[in-house]
Amino acid sequence: MSSIIEGPGPVAETLAGEGGEPHGIGEPVPSTDALPKAQGTYPYAADLWAEGLLWAAVLRSPYPHARIVRIDTSDAVAMPGVRAVVTHEDVPGDAMHGRKVADRPVFAHDVVRHHGEPIAAVAADHPDTARLAAAAILVEYEVREPVTDPEKAFAAEPLHPDGNLIRHIPLQFGDPEAVGEVVVEGLYRVGRQDPAPIGAEAGLAVPRPDGGVELYVASTDPHADRDIAAACFGLEADRVKVVVTGVPGAMGDREDSGIQLPLGLLALRTGCPVKFVATREESFLGHAHRHPTLLRYRHHADADGRLVKVEAQVLLDAGAYADASSDALAAAVAFAAGPYVVPHVFVEGWVVRTNNPPSGHVRGEGAVQVCAAYEGQMDKLAAKLGLDPAEIRMRNVLATGDLLPTGQTVTCPAPVGELLKAVRDADLPPLPDGDDESQWLLPGGVSGAGEPGAVRRGVGYALGMVHLLGAEGADEVSTATVRIHDGRATVICAAVETGQGFTTLARQIVQEVLGVDDVRVLPSDTDQPPAGPAARGRHTWVSGGAVERAAKMVRTQLLQPLAAKFGMSVELLTIADGKITSYDGVLSTTVAETLDGKELWATAQCRPHPTDRLDDTGQGDAFVGLTFCAVRAVVDVDIELGAVRVVELAVAQDVGRVLNPRQLAARIEAGVTQGLGLALMEDLRAPRGIVKRPNLTGYPLPTALDAPDVRIVKLVEERDVVAPFGAKAVSAVPVVTSPAAIAAAVRAATGRPVNRLPIRPQAAVVKPPTP
Amino acid sequence: MSTYARQEAANVTLPSSLDEAVAALADMPSAVPVAGGTDLMASVNSGLLRPAALVGLGRISEIRGWQYADGAALLGAGLTHARMGRPDFAALIPALAAAARSAGPPQIRNAGTLGGNIASAAPTGDALPVLAALEASVILAGPDGDRELPVSHLLTGMDPLRPGELLAFVRIPLLHAPQTFLKATGRTGPGRAVASVALVVDPARRQVRCSVGAVAPVPLRPLEAEQWVAGLIDWDGERTLAPEACTAFGEYVAAACIPDQPGVELPPAAVQLRRTVAALSRRALGRALA
Repeated sequence: MSSIIEGPGPVAETLAGEGGEPHGIGEPVPSTDALPKAQGTYPYAADLWAEGLLWAAVLRSPYPHARIVRIDTSDAVAMPGVRAVVTHEDVPGDAMHGRKVADRPVFAHDVVRHHGEPIAAVAADHPDTARLAAAAILVEYEVREPVTDPEKAFAAEPLHPDGNLIRHIPLQFGDPEAVGEVVVEGLYRVGRQDPAPIGAEAGLAVPRPDGGVELYVASTDPHADRDIAAACFGLEADRVKVVVTGVPGAMGDREDSGIQLPLGLLALRTGCPVKFVATREESFLGHAHRHPTLLRYRHHADADGRLVKVEAQVLLDAGAYADASSDALAAAVAFAAGPYVVPHVFVEGWVVRTNNPPSGHVRGEGAVQVCAAYEGQMDKLAAKLGLDPAEIRMRNVLATGDLLPTGQTVTCPAPVGELLKAVRDADLPPLPDGDDESQWLLPGGVSGAGEPGAVRRGVGYALGMVHLLGAEGADEVSTATVRIHDGRATVICAAVETGQGFTTLARQIVQEVLGVDDVRVLPSDTDQPPAGPAARGRHTWVSGGAVERAAKMVRTQLLQPLAAKFGMSVELLTIADGKITSYDGVLSTTVAETLDGKELWATAQCRPHPTDRLDDTGQGDAFVGLTFCAVRAVVDVDIELGAVRVVELAVAQDVGRVLNPRQLAARIEAGVTQGLGLALMEDLRAPRGIVKRPNLTGYPLPTALDAPDVRIVKLVEERDVVAPFGAKAVSAVPVVTSPAAIAAAVRAATGRPVNRLPIRPQAAVVKPPTP
Repeated sequence: MSTYARQEAANVTLPSSLDEAVAALADMPSAVPVAGGTDLMASVNSGLLRPAALVGLGRISEIRGWQYADGAALLGAGLTHARMGRPDFAALIPALAAAARSAGPPQIRNAGTLGGNIASAAPTGDALPVLAALEASVILAGPDGDRELPVSHLLTGMDPLRPGELLAFVRIPLLHAPQTFLKATGRTGPGRAVASVALVVDPARRQVRCSVGAVAPVPLRPLEAEQWVAGLIDWDGERTLAPEACTAFGEYVAAACIPDQPGVELPPAAVQLRRTVAALSRRALGRALA
């Protein structure tokens, strides 16, 4: 994979201008953990060790739906080397937990509701002993018929005391009687993408002398995980500490509570440190997946291709528990028409409980699925009206000041038309040339079966949008502390570095504000004030904002005495390269001299403006910020074999302000590659609720050969005035938009409807005319 | 007290010759031979297999190269996919080189061996259809001496490995004839075959030999289709075929490998697989005759 960043622009300039070590906002500051990660010396949770530790194993349900008649742990307890076995009977605190709604048991007791649901856990002195003991636990099941079709969940027997309907939003916006001259309908399906973090879940629990416990896990939301754990252990929150270890990849809520909670219970029970390392199979079974979604659409447009009305039904499969499903549904319903101006929108959204694998927060949830569908509809409209697919989109683009179907006015920059224009006008990648056909990378890969005569090239467009920060009244606060001492600054913030680059950003902010280059960001734990989950671009916004405020407070503390002494205001002093100078150059001193051995500390919070919950008709100012992206996909399709190769993805994105061009490019490349996975290969199959082949052979991820050239053709820097630095988080929206663009390109290449993601080979085959 | 007993290093033997390896296997009948370990060690790591002892084959230099023997190539079972993929090998047996190059990512190709591909006999083993189409044979070293048998007899279990036997060499007749290997994975990156086709045009015997991999537990040979298309070729002339004949050959092969069930309509997945096999066979024949 290569990336091309086109100039002129700040990105190209800063990448080109390599004068000294980059520092401060807008510079390509490298991440401090890049080298140890590349060298394999960076410690992750699976590398943890404690003297005398025990190993945990979790017994998981082999059935998607069954009643538990009896659990007999006596054989397991009697095994030599086994130190403790815990089941639902051994949970001292709340038996139920959950991120939004406490509807998930720590251990299944009366019923199991999905394949892989934890039933018991064992601690033993060797991992094999623990696994064998878990297998020796006798569970008598009364197998029940699983509900695996979300459409049948409405009428099925309740799978849970809370019922099968987790949330229903009937969004109504405009006139239901409105009709367009042209109407197109479509049915779309999006599969179950797994976050498939490169490191599987792992953790270490260490009991504390005060009767509490410390959990060393790769949590992305340590305070929420701590609160859930404390409630389950029956302890006060301050007696449970979550320490965040190296995070080996996170696309959403990273850790599986089915691992953290048993670990803590076992440590408390045995009084020994307990370690757990999930196998890849357990990882696939336990953590939350992207919601499989069924979407029915009807688009009305006038003869010029202007949208009149969008009607949609969106059905999300939550799996057995609610988790973050109501958030996913809100995003799906609110963005159901996409970044287009539509005067009349009617969307019925449901998220229902089934016995399928659990769904939850995975980057861009809700928005990804609807993007694939509304862009499919835009292509259908273009075909019906004989318009160019880019042109019909251009006629409908949203802009600042327009209304979302939720009734919210778009107040942030929304340069959708500019983004679309950038990708539309970018040069197309050249066709393969040269006489040696064996050197062409055709669909099917190196030395594959590709034949130039059967390959068709297609170009497709998609526009995507996603909200920033939690929606619908979530309190998106973050707190950070900045300290300066001896010319070195330290940042203490519980915002977890998941690989998204928060620590690098925090260093840049402090470098910018305090003018010191040596900035350390301490590891996160729950003794620090909460910073919230690493999701929806929160840390760029609220944690970055909190760091900036704290650094500014330190700056004021540092300069105030100096300014008072010289009778000038603080604003007239500047700090750069460790030196303080006044505007007129009369005063010049160093930071270290001014500090005079003192330590300065400041703690600050950043809390964005409040939002509303969507009401009974899906109306309300639910979102703090929005960000947009346009992607043009160029694909080659072998129309006989149905093999698809994405040649190039051209991306134009609304970023507010470029904070770190190197990280920004990496995030966009990572995002579109994840989107490519959803578009072409990633689907965790679970026929009749049983997860099939939960391993990386059965669940292929994009490799370097699958990943296309990612070409960032434009980064629109229109500052969002309510966001710190005017910057918008960049990771999620490429994930949302790229699958739809790839589908559109395959549609263009083959003429097939391509209404299902991932695109299976049979959907990209052009059938020979029947004789 | 710990139940954890560290695996003793003595459980691993590293013989430096075939004879030593055979002797080591005779000494420890429960020992498992391991070459690249790309399948075996994954099973060990996931706890599915706990071999009492291992006989590592990595130091036996005589099975890590190849030699010529009476118009055939004698390939060591320890040849890695990476080695088979190199141009000098490709000049010798092009189809096997193509199969080796398409097998997995570089890490797997550096470790995985030809012998391992045969011994693990996975339906998706990339070398297997090539060996079937080339009518290769395997030479097994055992306590009672060597024996040679067709690779298909080993793969189908007609004549399995006996206790103490070790897969030592693969004998492949050298043909001065076009041969191709094509594989469909459904993606651009390395992946397991959905279907693969190896095809050899052998003018000396006036035969076309075709083998289809990954659609059945062992590679399939559509013998009738082979004979039919061999009958169409003008062996003394240009040796070309009309595109329609290639297409018909593809359909013939596909129908033979994924047969119709009487009275039952083929499921959509089977229809797609048949279409894939037909396209691969047609392309393979076209390329071999080009």
